[in-house]
Amino acid sequence: MGNENGVGAASAAMPDVNGRAEMREEMQESIKPPVEERYREELEALKNTDTGRRPANWQMSPKAVRTFILGSAKPVIYQGKEYRVEKKYFGNDALVERCIVTLAGNRGLMLVGEPGTAKTMLSEMLSAAISGVSTNTIQGTAGTTEDMIKYSWNYALLLAKGPNREALVPAPLYVGMEKGILTRFEEITRTPAEIQDSLISVLSDKVLNVPELGDEGFLFARPGFNVIGTANTRDKGVNEMSSALKRRFNFETVMPVREVSMEKQIILNEAGKLAKESKLETELDEDVADLLASTYHELREGVSSYGHRIDKPAAVMSTAEAVSVYYQTLLTGYYYGDGRMDVDCLVQNLVGAVSKENKEDLEKVKGYFQTVIKDKSSKEGGLWKQYYEARKWLK
Amino acid sequence: METILRSEEMAEIMLLPVRHHSPACSLQIRKVMEEWKPCAVLVEGPDNANALLPVMTDEGTKGPFAIYYSYYDKTGKITQDKGHYKCYYPFLEYSPELTAVRAAAERGIPAAFIDLPYGDILAASSEGKGLRKDGEKNNYNDDYLLSRNAYIRRLCEKTGLRNFDEFWEKYFELKGLYEESGAWFSHLGVYCRLARENTPEEALAEEGCLEREAHMAARIAQWAAGHGPDGKAFHGGNGTEEGLYRILVVTGGFHTAGLAERLSGENWEHTLKEAGKLSGRVPEKDQSVYMMPYTMEAADSLNGYASGMPFTGFYQKIWEGMEEPERTYGKAVLDFLVSSGKEVRKKEGYLSTYDEICAWQMAEGLAGLRGKPQPGAYELWDAVLASYVKGEYNIATDTPLRILRKQMTGRGMGKLCREADVPPIIRDFELQCKGFGLKAHSAMETEVTLSIFSGKKHRNMSMFLHRMVYLETSFARRIKGPDLQRKKDKNLLREVWKYKWSAQVPAALIDVSVHGATVEEAADSLVRERLRKDMGAGEAAVLLTKVFEMGLSGQQEAVYGRVQEMILQDGDFYSIADALKSLMMMEELSPLYSSELKTRELLHAAVRKLIMLLPSMGGIKDENLGSCMDALKLLYQVTGREHMDMGQEKEAYYDALCRMLRDTGIHAGLYGCIHGILYGSGRETAEAVEAACRGYLTGTREQMLQTAVFFRGLFYTAKDLIFIGGQILGMLDGFFGQVEEGEFMELLPQLRMAFTYFTPSETDRIAGMAAGLHGSKREDIMRLGEVMPDWYGYGRELDEYASAAMHKAGKV
Repeated sequence: MGNENGVGAASAAMPDVNGRAEMREEMQESIKPPVEERYREELEALKNTDTGRRPANWQMSPKAVRTFILGSAKPVIYQGKEYRVEKKYFGNDALVERCIVTLAGNRGLMLVGEPGTAKTMLSEMLSAAISGVSTNTIQGTAGTTEDMIKYSWNYALLLAKGPNREALVPAPLYVGMEKGILTRFEEITRTPAEIQDSLISVLSDKVLNVPELGDEGFLFARPGFNVIGTANTRDKGVNEMSSALKRRFNFETVMPVREVSMEKQIILNEAGKLAKESKLETELDEDVADLLASTYHELREGVSSYGHRIDKPAAVMSTAEAVSVYYQTLLTGYYYGDGRMDVDCLVQNLVGAVSKENKEDLEKVKGYFQTVIKDKSSKEGGLWKQYYEARKWLK
Repeated sequence: METILRSEEMAEIMLLPVRHHSPACSLQIRKVMEEWKPCAVLVEGPDNANALLPVMTDEGTKGPFAIYYSYYDKTGKITQDKGHYKCYYPFLEYSPELTAVRAAAERGIPAAFIDLPYGDILAASSEGKGLRKDGEKNNYNDDYLLSRNAYIRRLCEKTGLRNFDEFWEKYFELKGLYEESGAWFSHLGVYCRLARENTPEEALAEEGCLEREAHMAARIAQWAAGHGPDGKAFHGGNGTEEGLYRILVVTGGFHTAGLAERLSGENWEHTLKEAGKLSGRVPEKDQSVYMMPYTMEAADSLNGYASGMPFTGFYQKIWEGMEEPERTYGKAVLDFLVSSGKEVRKKEGYLSTYDEICAWQMAEGLAGLRGKPQPGAYELWDAVLASYVKGEYNIATDTPLRILRKQMTGRGMGKLCREADVPPIIRDFELQCKGFGLKAHSAMETEVTLSIFSGKKHRNMSMFLHRMVYLETSFARRIKGPDLQRKKDKNLLREVWKYKWSAQVPAALIDVSVHGATVEEAADSLVRERLRKDMGAGEAAVLLTKVFEMGLSGQQEAVYGRVQEMILQDGDFYSIADALKSLMMMEELSPLYSSELKTRELLHAAVRKLIMLLPSMGGIKDENLGSCMDALKLLYQVTGREHMDMGQEKEAYYDALCRMLRDTGIHAGLYGCIHGILYGSGRETAEAVEAACRGYLTGTREQMLQTAVFFRGLFYTAKDLIFIGGQILGMLDGFFGQVEEGEFMELLPQLRMAFTYFTPSETDRIAGMAAGLHGSKREDIMRLGEVMPDWYGYGRELDEYASAAMHKAGKV
């Protein structure tokens, strides 16, 4: 399994020129095309109009990477076409800037934070902008082994020709070093500590030794290589990182979005993207997004906008969850309803999203409806009233 | 740069907008003064502080210092309450206003403050607004006006900067190092004008801005027309070659536009006319103004009450490096990375030089990415966050940032030259120190022992030192002696004090100088002020002890009255119990202090109130058990004192206890505690207590587990029961037999608490008795049984043999 994964990841990362067009078509057909495909034109425009200095092997300058992720008020004009670069990551501009500078330096970047805080999205965008690919990725699990990270062998070739480069199947870390691109390591703390530690010498010496290849077995990393790791803080107990490995990374803690208005914007943007990809011809309901953003925000923070103290559910109340609840509701309305978003359906989806960890969470959400939503429904009426009436689905 | 030419008056006025505590403003002001060569400098600041200008510009005066303004509203001009008001105007070495007056002194040209006197600003502001905000420390600086509007919020969002301070550093501080003065000030002028346009007119009126600007404009007009604040003409021959008299006006940027309007075109005549009739609304004699040393910590705007720029220590470093403007930020950032790195290494131990190198690369990289010519305070912050914090950023890992924050604030404290005038309270302090033989100016800590109960002089000295403590001067601290507030060490007859002078002492005394001319007066006035605020019975009693220690006989009656009132009004059981404890201690010590305070009456009132509240205390929370048991024991002691004449209360107390026992929902600990008290007073037999204990032991599982806390309560008041009869011990033993290991671990804290009431020899005795219950002797349980290696070997052999035999027999 390790072999196949390695081959798959490597070839997806670097398709040859002939296969590229075909692959692109395939990717656009997929449920979630990679970032570099989704924003291909925008990235091209930025790359070709970029006048800043580029670190070796980077596709564009740090400033252009920043513009790609944080957007720009001024449109980019390329080949007579105007590209409006939208802001894609909300919440903390300074964090994105630190990430870019870290990746241009000698240390790896480790994004840590609660689940659903867009760590993976940020790491994909950084990879796509800097290296042109976001798919050179190691998916960390409890079963990840060292050969899924570094390299393994095609045993038929190995037996036939003995150890040589041809028989070697590079895994994402090898690919990253060889091509001078970023290697992403998702959910690093899910991987056993001794496997994580195989990164240590590579990150400090920038060289990978393949003893089977003898004198030719040294792979020196090309400039542009670096590692972006992501880790959930809730998984901390799974496999704590060793301090030796920690020293080789700059850590960035990604916090949940602090402003309701921003959370609403994210819900609308992300659900819009999903709808577009699924070719749904529907309009997004801003008021429902507002409802959902404030529910998630208040349940996460433990205090309402009116000042009520709220019991926080143990389940993850992330923005990503809110997006999925919103999108689910949108889908239901589109396929089974009259095309509009239904508040009853929203509450039903909310129940599904919060009652994952334990039963008490649902009680807490009920309590939230009984106090906060009740107050809001009497003070603000309208959709809040419908929302309060939909509490009957909380069971 | 806005210049207004008044050709009739032969005067040219230049209005320079500034932000308080901005090094770039200071740098640019110096440049302007060299190029433009003004004949006079007018600076924003209450004009009743003009006499302090020579002290401010004296070489012996070093920042940070503050001008302290105070006003005692004797005539009720502000409100009916006739309160005391004070505010601070802090200056750092790099404050533009200070730079302006210092440069004026160097050039030998006149300088003056032009704002309304402090009292008049108060009169011009609405309640709760501007300088009348209910803040701990009101600050004269009104920089918040530049940063709190919707316009700046949008601007920060648009430029992707996190707040106004970062915006300011990028566009004004850093640019100020490279830009030419004219362009720089005009950019600043535009910004300030926009900030003002986005502030509602009503807010300006409420905060007294409009009246202040009218006054400032009138003062400027007065100078332009050739008259100083004293009315003397001074133009003659002092002007430029063209015969123009050039006046440089330095004010907070927010006011520049307002002033320009009042001084230009058709408004000029009106402003000039107003200048002729300038006079204060508020009596001058009730206002005072002094200079005091200040700290960087207090001046850092991130510390809550201050206004102006944050990171005072960081910008001080920038100012010191201004000789090389194009390198000053880079050098300062590197310095801070190294010094904070060193401290992190010392505290946390993990930081390497390579981390520091990475941090420096980060700071430089960020500056490049953000389009800043040099890394600034925010790149420094980000660099430390990215490179020094290992792992998730949270309260456990944020030490590097806390260290950096402290260093960026700085620890500097200013000093004043010898000529600085001091308020009467400082003279009184020095005089009293002299009288008592205390070294008022010694920075070495000195110890002094006072026999407060035998010598009048020592008691007076103690009162003086207590007053200094109350005024929070950090001059003296008591290290031994009866402590009436914490209710301990009442057997001590002497007080031991340590005292030393520090720059904080005069600063703190100046701070309270508005309250009186002597230390005693100030303490007295502050007690009176405290009485106006809300407090519970416990707090009131503590205040009474303080007044008593300070010997403020004038206030004793008022505080006494307040305690009495609070005992009647306060419904908080614990607060009253606290008051009772304080009062008991005062009652016990009053013969020693030869005090005439009638605490007895208050004691009776407190006891009665407590007994009244007692029956409702049955269902207390676990965390309150300790304080509730304390209160019950205290009541037992007070009502049991023969000489206190508490017969009636005593009966009521036991009545209340019996009533509490009938409450089935009573907390088990309290239940045990009350049984102990009743047993101790002979109102209950040992058998009855045992029956109560058995009730828990034989109850349902949940109730059985409550036995541990019951024992805690019982042993707190009647620990001797365990030695009588042996029943209790047997029950305790039975209890241990019933609980499972997990439950035992949960109950362990309560059991430990229960056994803390025994002395070591008693615990030893109990252990002996417990051993007896299991047929062992005390000595037997002292030895730990050990397993010899050959026993272990034999056991293993036996095990293997048995298992082989069972295999053989086909049993496994």
